[in-house]
Amino acid sequence: MSEFDAIVIGAGPAGASAAIRLASSKKNVLLVEKSDPPGSKNVSGGVLWGSSLSSIIPDWEKSAPVERFVDTKSVAFLTQDSKIGIDFSSKKLQQKKTGYTVLRAKLDQWLARKAKEAGAMVINGVTVEKLHMENGKVTGVEQGGDVITSDAVILCEGANPRVAIDSGLHKRLSDRDVAIGVKEVITLPEATINERFHLKSGAGFACEYVLGYLQNGVEAGGFLYTNKDSISVGIVVSMSHLRENDATHSFDIIESFTGHPYIAPLLEGGNMQEYSAHLVQEGGIGSMPKLYGNGYMIAGDSAGFSFSNGLVLQGMNYAIDSGIIAADTFIEASKGMDYSESALKLYQDRLESSYVMKDMRTFKGIENVTWSPFVHKKVPAMLESLMLNLFMEEGKPKKHMTGMLLDAMSENDMLKASSIMEAYRMMRRM
Amino acid sequence: MVLEIIVMVKQVPDSQEVVIDPVTMNLNRSLTRNVTNSADENALEAALRIKDKVGANVTVISMGPPQAETTMIECLARGADRAILASDRFFGGADTYPTGLTVAATISKIGKFDIIFAGEESSDSSTGHVGPGVAEFLNIDQITYASSVEYEDGYVTADRELEGGTETVRVPTPVLVTVLLNSNSPRMQTLRRKIDAVKKGMEVWDHDKIGLQPEWVGVRGSPTIVRKMRPIKERERAAKKIDIAGLGDLARELYEKKILKLEEE
Ligand SMILES: Cc1cc2nc3c(=O)[nH]c(=O)nc-3n(C[C@H](O)[C@H](O)[C@H](O)COP(=O)(O)OP(=O)(O)OC[C@H]3O[C@@H](n4cnc5c(N)ncnc54)[C@H](O)[C@@H]3O)c2cc1C
Ligand SMILES: Cc1cc2nc3c(=O)[nH]c(=O)nc-3n(C[C@H](O)[C@H](O)[C@H](O)COP(=O)(O)OP(=O)(O)OC[C@H]3O[C@@H](n4cnc5c(N)ncnc54)[C@H](O)[C@@H]3O)c2cc1C
Repeated sequence: MSEFDAIVIGAGPAGASAAIRLASSKKNVLLVEKSDPPGSKNVSGGVLWGSSLSSIIPDWEKSAPVERFVDTKSVAFLTQDSKIGIDFSSKKLQQKKTGYTVLRAKLDQWLARKAKEAGAMVINGVTVEKLHMENGKVTGVEQGGDVITSDAVILCEGANPRVAIDSGLHKRLSDRDVAIGVKEVITLPEATINERFHLKSGAGFACEYVLGYLQNGVEAGGFLYTNKDSISVGIVVSMSHLRENDATHSFDIIESFTGHPYIAPLLEGGNMQEYSAHLVQEGGIGSMPKLYGNGYMIAGDSAGFSFSNGLVLQGMNYAIDSGIIAADTFIEASKGMDYSESALKLYQDRLESSYVMKDMRTFKGIENVTWSPFVHKKVPAMLESLMLNLFMEEGKPKKHMTGMLLDAMSENDMLKASSIMEAYRMMRRM
Repeated sequence: MVLEIIVMVKQVPDSQEVVIDPVTMNLNRSLTRNVTNSADENALEAALRIKDKVGANVTVISMGPPQAETTMIECLARGADRAILASDRFFGGADTYPTGLTVAATISKIGKFDIIFAGEESSDSSTGHVGPGVAEFLNIDQITYASSVEYEDGYVTADRELEGGTETVRVPTPVLVTVLLNSNSPRMQTLRRKIDAVKKGMEVWDHDKIGLQPEWVGVRGSPTIVRKMRPIKERERAAKKIDIAGLGDLARELYEKKILKLEEE
């Protein structure tokens, strides 16, 4: 007899959701989290998109520690001197809320508490070292020389899945698979934030930026999200670019971002409350591990479920839903007391028919779009010269818009056949 | 007969992360993480080492709000046998006098004790009153500021770190010992021990169970009156970045501004 029905490693959105679902179905579940309290080491710029939580916590919109609903969603290109962006604000976003800014330190603690209330045993401050294997089957976890047994283990370790890698269930991460996210939380009075971003109380602003001014071919994206009385601001920079450029450091990039002439005024007068760095899963479907096997399933970032196309960065929603699907698979498997690979294949099947795997397949290769000189250099420069041409009145005859666009494109090498093909291929991936 | 050891522990806000609300001047507890007072971890470790050597029953007690449960579970996970939290809304707002009284009354209620351990002081209020206060309430001897503690045949031998040197004392039990911060390295908590600790759980005692009148404890039992508090203004840091090549210029600038002095001056 195992001590627990299931052990869940990691109390991020994936693990906590799995534990809540399992405990709500009267399963004897152990949720182990290395940070204490949960979330204290987690970084997320934090827009929680969609309403994945509703199936495990029906009243989540009322009780979850959400900061603001996203009322204005923007994307912008930054060059050295300019910002070119699109703002989308809509009454429709007020009526049907599709995203909330969250602070992970609060959200993760709340989720862990929900898991405990549902009946899970939640242990913080301990790092699981290894999976325990018997006859090629995962039958528990090992820590401090002890074995804690369970019928199955759900691995939700996040973007750096050490246990899965050490157990041979996940290949070592390569630089292509991950980016580095660095985030600051800057406190400002609620009223100041509302005024600066033209927000009504409760409404929030979320923006992703392409940092088109970086030198030496370094590519990075920025983000800025408003919380109730703070702003989450940060950058995501590809690991391979950092490695190729010894002179570039992630903290220089975040400094150049928060100091940009069109970002700095938004943060002015604020106090930095938190600074942290974290891996972002980027590899896409190509670097996904096998998601299940004898006695185990992998969910959330560890499984490679995250999505970013430059317009939006999503991971928490996939984490929550994959965690729930893993839990449901366990509950199904427990009816026949069979946790073998063939029984847990149901996990893959259910993921395939959900939006989780469908999105991963639809956006196969998206990482080649988000990380490309085309998006990070050519587009920002082209947009800037187009706008300057449009608005610089120098007493000379004007051209038609299309003429200006063509000029701006050719100035930035975008009219070559190869560039046009590249753009076309990108559009298809998005 | 098995040795009975009691360890007094306090949950404190993580001193790395303390945030004072500039308007109300109160600690913003929603933003701070609560941890076990560091010196109390050393006190518990001192107790557990005696338990390892001669066998003992180790009980941790704390007076505090329900969220001190995490500290109690942590102590059980390190190896304590029993955890009692004295918790009651009447205990709120206590200064060091009723804190000592409540802890002492809880110990009396437990009954037999041979050694009581406390930390030298807390990291949040840092008075160092509570340990000695408890010894006085219980009318027993005390050894303060101990850096090492041994037990043999009814006697505690301890080194006390004093300004002029180290004093070694030998005192018969029952005795209260306050333990220096960082005087030992507390053992790790393991997953196995944590699971067992959660399964075991803590006991919660209220004023009634301990046998204290509401007017003796908490804010009503506190002789201290706080007139006024003010924050210490933090000096702004210039946070200037310089490269090595600019060091000379910087030194000159600091010297001219009289921030930096030369040796012989
Ligand atoms: C800078 C940044 C910004 C982001 N912005 C967004 C956003 O706006 N919207 C969005 O949806 N997503 C965003 N993401 C992605 C999102 O954070 C992740 O997709 C999501 O957190 C994945 O959840 P998870 O539960 O799989 O993993 P995590 O949230 O990483 O949780 C894993 C947990 O497991 C614990 N753990 C790991 N190993 C062990 C072990 N051996 N033993 C015990 N515990 C262990 C960790 O401490 C951690 O708490 C962002 C990520 C970053 C880095
Ligand atoms: C001037 C002043 C005014 C204060 N006003 C208030 C107030 O209005 N409201 C308020 O809530 N607090 C107030 N406090 C804080 C409160 O008095 C102390 O937190 C409390 O009495 C414990 O004292 P201490 O933290 O200095 O512990 P110390 O005496 O420094 O602690 C020494 C050791 O005693 C033990 N110990 C301490 N406290 C406990 C405990 N609770 N349970 C078990 N063991 C313990 C531990 O082993 C600890 O290491 C005030 C403190 C001061 C100095």
